[in-house]
Amino acid sequence: MITPRFDELIHAPTRLSLVAFLAATEWADFSVLRDSIGLSDSTLSKQLTMLENAGYVEIRKAFVGKRPRTSARLTTGGRTAFDQHVLALQEIVARAGGSVVPSSRSSEQS
Amino acid sequence: MSDRIEPADAARALSEIGWRREQVIRRKVFPGWFWWAHAALIIMLTACMESGRGVLLWIGVAVFVIGGFVIDWPVSRAARAAAPRRGLAGLGTTRRTLIGLATFVAVLLGVLVTTALSLRAAGVPYPATIAATVTATVFAVAGRLLVRYEQAVQVRRSRSQG
Repeated sequence: MITPRFDELIHAPTRLSLVAFLAATEWADFSVLRDSIGLSDSTLSKQLTMLENAGYVEIRKAFVGKRPRTSARLTTGGRTAFDQHVLALQEIVARAGGSVVPSSRSSEQS
Repeated sequence: MSDRIEPADAARALSEIGWRREQVIRRKVFPGWFWWAHAALIIMLTACMESGRGVLLWIGVAVFVIGGFVIDWPVSRAARAAAPRRGLAGLGTTRRTLIGLATFVAVLLGVLVTTALSLRAAGVPYPATIAATVTATVFAVAGRLLVRYEQAVQVRRSRSQG
């Protein structure tokens, strides 16, 4: 049973995008995260380190041939925190009585 | 803290979360050339088989195997770079995908056999190669459409999950 819990660390816009993307994947490569979220290498690295320090993200570094390859995934704790955060958000919207219409970004992608 | 969050802000965050989920599902893994490259290999192998020459057959098989590996390797790498989490589009997704794939293969085989037998009965030369060309074209066109359809279904199912 997951209880709603608003998470300030996750709610910051960049981290919300990052955690939401990671929540939908098993593992995600650094380059895919960077290109999909639209972040610079340094910003992504900083955000991932922050999430790793909080215990939300696990980072794996490997070599493919001679090229380093960094991947990340949500830990069990990170996934739980994200699920709790989503529930908290849904609760806030529900309390508003369905008067809030979220803007859909689906039409923006091709 | 959550009391200080405006409902509109919460709704925007939920919308962003949903959009990122869709982004993972819709991520382009198969490049456009993937389908046509496989189609070319199918036609080449069939032509080699139909030629009836042993050397050509072995060359055809070798090119087919190596070519298939070269085509699939970058695609499988791209797929692994951000593989969607299991159950992202609801339970039973894998089973439905496998059924769709099996149906697709069955349709392709049906097109291949029917066309080849019809052409042979009509006395057309190289019936297998012509039938393989027709089948490979169906594969290249329908394969892309099937992937898009599957992604659209998964997006719809992931939306209904909330």
